Amino acid sequence: MASALTNVSLSTFAPTARGDVLARPQVAPARVTFPTAYRGSGALSCRAGGPATPPGISDKMSDSIKEAQETCSEDAASGECAAAWDEVEELSAAASHARDKLKDSDPLENYCKENPETDECRTYDS
Amino acid sequence: MAFCSPHTTTSLRSPCTTIPNSGFRQNQVIFFTTRSSRRSNTRHGARTFQVSCAVEQPIVIGLAADSGCGKSTFMRRLTSVFGGAAEPPKGGNPDSNTLISDTTTVICLDDYHSLDRTGRKEKGVTALDPKANDFDLMYEQVKAIKEGKAIEKPIYNHVTGLLDPAELIQPPKIFVIEGLHPMYDERVRELLDFSIYLDISNEVKFAWKIQRDMAERGHSLESIKASIEARKPDFDAFIDPQKQYADAVIEVLPTQLIPDDNEGKVLRVKLIMKEGIKFFNPVYLFDEGSTINWIPCGRKLTCSYPGIKFSYGPDTYFGQEVSVLEMDGQFDRLDELIYVESHLSNLSTKFYGEVTQQMLKHADFPGSNNGTGLFQTIVGLKIRDLYEQIIAERAGVPAEAAKV
Repeated sequence: MASALTNVSLSTFAPTARGDVLARPQVAPARVTFPTAYRGSGALSCRAGGPATPPGISDKMSDSIKEAQETCSEDAASGECAAAWDEVEELSAAASHARDKLKDSDPLENYCKENPETDECRTYDS
Repeated sequence: MAFCSPHTTTSLRSPCTTIPNSGFRQNQVIFFTTRSSRRSNTRHGARTFQVSCAVEQPIVIGLAADSGCGKSTFMRRLTSVFGGAAEPPKGGNPDSNTLISDTTTVICLDDYHSLDRTGRKEKGVTALDPKANDFDLMYEQVKAIKEGKAIEKPIYNHVTGLLDPAELIQPPKIFVIEGLHPMYDERVRELLDFSIYLDISNEVKFAWKIQRDMAERGHSLESIKASIEARKPDFDAFIDPQKQYADAVIEVLPTQLIPDDNEGKVLRVKLIMKEGIKFFNPVYLFDEGSTINWIPCGRKLTCSYPGIKFSYGPDTYFGQEVSVLEMDGQFDRLDELIYVESHLSNLSTKFYGEVTQQMLKHADFPGSNNGTGLFQTIVGLKIRDLYEQIIAERAGVPAEAAKV
């Protein structure tokens, strides 16, 4: 099963310049295409350009994987084995959320994307 | 002393007004005591005001899914439908799992873990196991919020694996509980006004986790597979059975458009909607209650490979009557999406093209070009509609009385 899945597409859903254009549907012409990121090449291109996981979580996660592998080598059907892999899952999810947070970590930028007309988002020419 | 919640001041109108007791609203009487700023004048005595304060009674939504199955994306789509972005509580614990927007507060049920990471490891139980969760506290706190009361909710820190000091949660208009067990405990289930289950098939779950984890140091196909397999017995025993209680289930499966597809890129997604739920009218395609197979791609609309296929019809799900809408394939162009939207009915949109607009607004979210994004958006619109109908019903009681 594992070998069959090595060609799973890992194209990410990172916003592209074209995605930004699409954020204004009222001006978008009828034949705009979706971001090309969806049409993954099928190659293992993981999060190209995306932020890396903070080292604290990353270290914890790789440690937990080693620990789970050790725990399960003794008894793969034990509760301890399941709990150890569950910890891996929890940390993997936390790592993914941490990356997402980094992706949009500037609150003012985010706010102004939604509310460009507000006072705090105005830009002035000198 | 009672206090008007500072949180509700984010709503458009103040919660404290002089409106009379209206139906379902609880009325609280608050005595404000004002004193002169100069101490020497306290002899003039305190003046007492009576302020009537209508406490919001939130509607409560449950969202169940396994870890890494798109709950966060769904929540971002849902809060977007209500307008405004959801943010973590300001000035609080940076590892808080809560998201707050003008109308909606989303809490993560992991905060009700009774065993922290070390405790679970010692006892050999996973977070999926009810033994690792405090359902009594969950029930008490969801009930309190539903009654319009603030709660001091614990925070489970996903990085440290410890339970952090509690955070104060004020009752919002819409309160969403998301996590592994929103429909597990019967008492909590009874409090839900609407419930959703994200049902991700094993093949797709594997593909999604590879996408999420492969770049991580230490992870490999073997470790991802081992983690899914080790958690599966508890998942099957405690999480999966909750789907029978859900008002809407979004089922994500591999495509049938490409023979022997194993890429997990093109998806077949089913929206299973329970019939007979008050304030929830299932979406339909062409003719309500009929069985329809529809391939929109043809002479009028050209689609790129492998095309798009819809089906709709009545069915039964765990012995209950449901309507099922299914989409296989993906949108590659805007005109495909708008064409599909124009052929669906009962979408609960406020204007023509609202589904398309929401999808385009978040084109960068996972699933924006397939049935997961489409159905999440539709469920978001249905929840908005449900909320508005409940509010209208609550307000309708005195309004009708006034007409007479």
